[in-house]
Amino acid sequence: MNWPAERDLPEGRHRLLKEFVMSEIDRAPAKRRLPRPTVLAPALGLAAAAAAAVVAVPLLFGGTPAYAVSKGADGLIHITINEAKDPKGLQEDLREMGANVVVDYIPQGKKCSPQPRAARFLSAEEAPLTVFPMPEGSEPGFVIDPRVIGEGRTGVLEFSVSENDGGVIAGIWARVAEGPIAECVLVDTTEAPLSH
Amino acid sequence: MSMRARIRGGDQAAFGQLFDECSKAVYNHAFRLTGNWSAAEDVMALTFLEAWRLRARIDPEGGSLKPWLLGIATNVHRNVRRAARRHDDALSRLPRGEETPDFADEVVGRIHDAERLAAVHRAYARLRRQEQDVFALCVWAGLGYAQAAEALGIPVGTVRSRLSRARRKLAGAGEPPPPPRQVVGDRGPDKEEIR
Repeated sequence: MNWPAERDLPEGRHRLLKEFVMSEIDRAPAKRRLPRPTVLAPALGLAAAAAAAVVAVPLLFGGTPAYAVSKGADGLIHITINEAKDPKGLQEDLREMGANVVVDYIPQGKKCSPQPRAARFLSAEEAPLTVFPMPEGSEPGFVIDPRVIGEGRTGVLEFSVSENDGGVIAGIWARVAEGPIAECVLVDTTEAPLSH
Repeated sequence: MSMRARIRGGDQAAFGQLFDECSKAVYNHAFRLTGNWSAAEDVMALTFLEAWRLRARIDPEGGSLKPWLLGIATNVHRNVRRAARRHDDALSRLPRGEETPDFADEVVGRIHDAERLAAVHRAYARLRRQEQDVFALCVWAGLGYAQAAEALGIPVGTVRSRLSRARRKLAGAGEPPPPPRQVVGDRGPDKEEIR
C-alpha cells in the first residue's frame, strides 16, 4: 500500500489558509449549536448519579428567549436556560413567581467572591431548594421549590456555564440563606465549578 | 515554555507556528483519507479550528503535536459533517481554491495517483473503522505505535493488535502478492531464496 509522495499545499494556499485559521481563532467564540432534547435525556440520568446538590443539565442553545420559567400546579418552578445571559431577568421573573432568590451565572474558572455570600446557609437537607431528581415527564432544566425558602430568607441560585464537546453544560448550586446576600463578584479559581 | 504549554495557554503565535510545521502532514493525511485534494484542504482547515477549540486537552508533557493533530484530522474526516456544523460560520469564510489548469505531466501524475488511490481505498474500505484509523496513521502517515496511540487516545497494545489485524486482512484481500522468488537447490522444506 505505497502512497504517492507527499505534496505541499499549492502556492499561496498555505498562506491563505493560515490567515483564515488565525483570523477565525481570533474571533469571538463561535455560535453554539443546539443539542437535541432526546439526546439530553441520558445526560440527566448521568447527572442524577453524579451529584445531589449540584446537578448538570445541558443547556439548549439556539432557542429564544434566553430562559423560560413556568410554575406548575404543584407550586414547583421549572427553569429552562437556553442561553447563558440575563441572570437578573431570570431573577426578576422568579421573584414575580414568589421565589425570593438571587441568580448569578458563573463562567468556568470563576467563582463568586466573597464566600460564603451569607452569614448562614441552610443545608440542602434542611431546605431542599432544588428538586432532584426532577418530577417525571419534566423537560430538561431545573426545578426549584420556592416554598422551602421561607419568610425572611433568600434562595441563592448559581449556575455554572461551561463549554463542552457538542454543547454547553450548566450546573446549578442552590441553597437557602439567612440574612443579606453579598453581591457576587467573579474571581478566578482553580476549584471545581460551583464548589463552595 | 514548551510549544504544548503555550498553545494550551492560548498563545496564538505558537499556534501559527504549529500550523507552519504541521499543516503539510495534516493536509496529506487528509488527502489519503478523502482521496481529494480540495476536500483535504477543508479537513485540514477544520482540523486546526478543532485543535484550537480543544487546546485545553493538550497534555503539557510530550513531544511533537503532530500525532494529536492527525488524530483530530482522523476524527474530523470521520465526522466531517459534525465538524463542519460546529464551524459553519467559519467555513463560509474559508477562502476557496481557484481551479488552476494543470500542467500536462502533472495531470498524468494525478491520474496515476488517482488510480493507485482507488485501488488502495478499495482494500482499505474492507477494514473495520478502528483498523482503518490505526492503519492510516501508522502506515500512511508513518506514526510510531506510541504516537498513533496518543493520536487516537488508545493503549499502545491496542494499536499493535489493530494494525496487525489490518495487515492480515489486507494481505488476504488485494495487497499485491510478494515479488516472485527463485528457489535454488532442494533441501526439503528449507528452501534457499534468491531475490
